[in-house]
Amino acid sequence: MGLVCRVVEAAGITTVCISTGRDLTAQVKPPRSLFVNFPMGNAFGKPFDRDMQLHVLRSALSLAENATEPGVLVDLPDVWPEPFEFNPGRSNM
Amino acid sequence: MSDATVRTEPIRYVEGLAAYYGAMGHPPYQWSVYEDAPWQPLPKPVSECRVTMLTSGGISLCAMPAFDPLARNDHRLDEIPQGADSKDFQIHDSYYDHRDADRDINCQFPIDRLRELVEAGEIGSLAPRFWSGFMGRIYNRTKVLEESAPAYVAELKKDEVDLLIAVPA
Repeated sequence: MGLVCRVVEAAGITTVCISTGRDLTAQVKPPRSLFVNFPMGNAFGKPFDRDMQLHVLRSALSLAENATEPGVLVDLPDVWPEPFEFNPGRSNM
Repeated sequence: MSDATVRTEPIRYVEGLAAYYGAMGHPPYQWSVYEDAPWQPLPKPVSECRVTMLTSGGISLCAMPAFDPLARNDHRLDEIPQGADSKDFQIHDSYYDHRDADRDINCQFPIDRLRELVEAGEIGSLAPRFWSGFMGRIYNRTKVLEESAPAYVAELKKDEVDLLIAVPA
């Protein structure tokens, strides 16, 4: 996805990436990234939490409008209220 | 629940994925690593921009085929009409836990929230199409760089998109 952002941006369209995998995003360096330390699959928060969904979305839009440094990665300070771990696998199908 | 139990450090996905796929017999993924990034400043305020969104989370409309949850090198890219009903989606992707997003797609692909920000005047307009594709585990990245992504750019330009919001999963 970061690669796609790089190609789109290089072709003249502004991009902003909303990532839950900080290390994955940092190495591919999309033009602008907002890191949200929430579980993968919950980049905008919990189901039906409209306020949090809007908060993350507005933060990304603000980054798109105001960033000045190529490859910038901003950490959203919000904390997920429960523990979570890396959880890939067939249980997710 | 005390604060001591919440996560403050990011998950180390690079290590976790190497262990996970290594145990399945796959060779280590050769990640693309870049030291710099291309740059196109937003040409006008978001409130005047045409915006769209791309997810790589295996999300498709119920009327479309499911994504292959274990796909590798799947360059499928679905266009999703801007007016799609947020309750009319399915998710098939083994990469992440999407039980919350199954209940409310806006957890991962907030199309209702985008529409609300247009109504509120914070976003100029939405493009006629949202997008879902470029699922994980694409090993043939040259094809992304030289074929799939440039073809996608052409579609974004047809829609006169000013800003792409990308949500990897």
